[in-house]
Amino acid sequence: MSPMKLCVPGDKLCSTEDCIPGTGVYLRHGYIYSSLAGYVLRKNEGEELPVISVVRETETQLLPDVGAIVTCKVTSINPRFAKVHILYVGSTPLKDRFRGTIRKEDVRATEKDKVETYKSFRPGDIVLAKVISLGDVQSNYLLTTAENELGVVVAHSEAGAQMVPISWCEMQCPRTHAKEFRKVARVQPEYLQA
Amino acid sequence: MAGLELLSDQGYRLDGRKATELRKVQARMGVFSQADGSAYIEQGNTKALAVVYGPHEVRGSRSRTLHDRAVINCQYSMATFSTAERKRRPHGDRKSAEMSLHLKQTFEAAVMTQLYPRSQIDIYVKILQSDGGNYSVCVNAATLAVIDAGIPMRDYVCACTVGFVDETPLADLCYAEEGGGGSSLALALLPRGGQIALLQMDAMTACKGVSKVLDEVVRQHLQDVSVLTRE
Repeated sequence: MSPMKLCVPGDKLCSTEDCIPGTGVYLRHGYIYSSLAGYVLRKNEGEELPVISVVRETETQLLPDVGAIVTCKVTSINPRFAKVHILYVGSTPLKDRFRGTIRKEDVRATEKDKVETYKSFRPGDIVLAKVISLGDVQSNYLLTTAENELGVVVAHSEAGAQMVPISWCEMQCPRTHAKEFRKVARVQPEYLQA
Repeated sequence: MAGLELLSDQGYRLDGRKATELRKVQARMGVFSQADGSAYIEQGNTKALAVVYGPHEVRGSRSRTLHDRAVINCQYSMATFSTAERKRRPHGDRKSAEMSLHLKQTFEAAVMTQLYPRSQIDIYVKILQSDGGNYSVCVNAATLAVIDAGIPMRDYVCACTVGFVDETPLADLCYAEEGGGGSSLALALLPRGGQIALLQMDAMTACKGVSKVLDEVVRQHLQDVSVLTRE
């Protein structure tokens, strides 16, 4: 492999007729320019034109986007919504915590009016959720768990043990056998990691 | 001019440079591991540190959040030991606030803020030793720090000052030349696109030369453009 070409922001890489812009680049007047300092990478993906992108050794900061599956930790609950900290977007960890809100209506898809937040989440739970909106001036990221695959993944009982899911709405403590209510996620096997 | 000869008969300046010669530039990137990006730069005797955090969630008042792009927050400060006389307020005075605003405007032109809606990018610059050209050194340091942080930019920004002494332009002024009573002009450029991010001129005395120079530059530029468009 030839040595990787280095570039700095503002470098003209090629014309749009030669490549498709990927990440770390931008378009101007029919040319592709670099927007980062890093290595130029051309990848052929079966299409006619290679995809050109600029990569760095460290991951660039990612932001939660609409439709993204995020992993978050519940920080507080009240009758109307649960507040969470977003920790991961997909499988990439965030450098900074972003705050999100799961409203009562967005906890599950059916019987929305009968949802009670304290029967769905508890502070400290690890929850899989999907971003539905970036929010408006007053609110931050709005999240939903209204899918079978979304909801509480890890929860600890009052005794402090990690609970085992027994149905889509209940989890049991292995130590005291007490049952607690949660909006449990049916975790897809391909997402399970050690 | 105040008994100080800024340009000798042989064409040398106070520190032995030629009129268009820059000071020695030394720079280092990634000086801190805690910050997302950082840089240290020396231009002659002016030394500056720049640190970049972000993009992260908007701190402070949430009303500052922008829906379509990131907020850029700049803070310029000078170390108390940076000047010949000890500085009482390292930041927050009128001059620093103005400088912060200029830095913010400069980087809003360069950073691709539309990629990070509803977030904030912090740029903190500190002058450790001041010897003229503070604004341009800060811009250069902050550019390196932004590159180090991996935040996308349209183009890197570079800045320099220029002054006039008896019709002769002097590049990259030092403190003595800045205070010498002439006019000084700071310019921040996006060099590849040939765009001006910020242009600022301070003149203590009459600046009759400048209108002539700017007029000439504009005419020259118009000529170039007309040649290009004809092609």
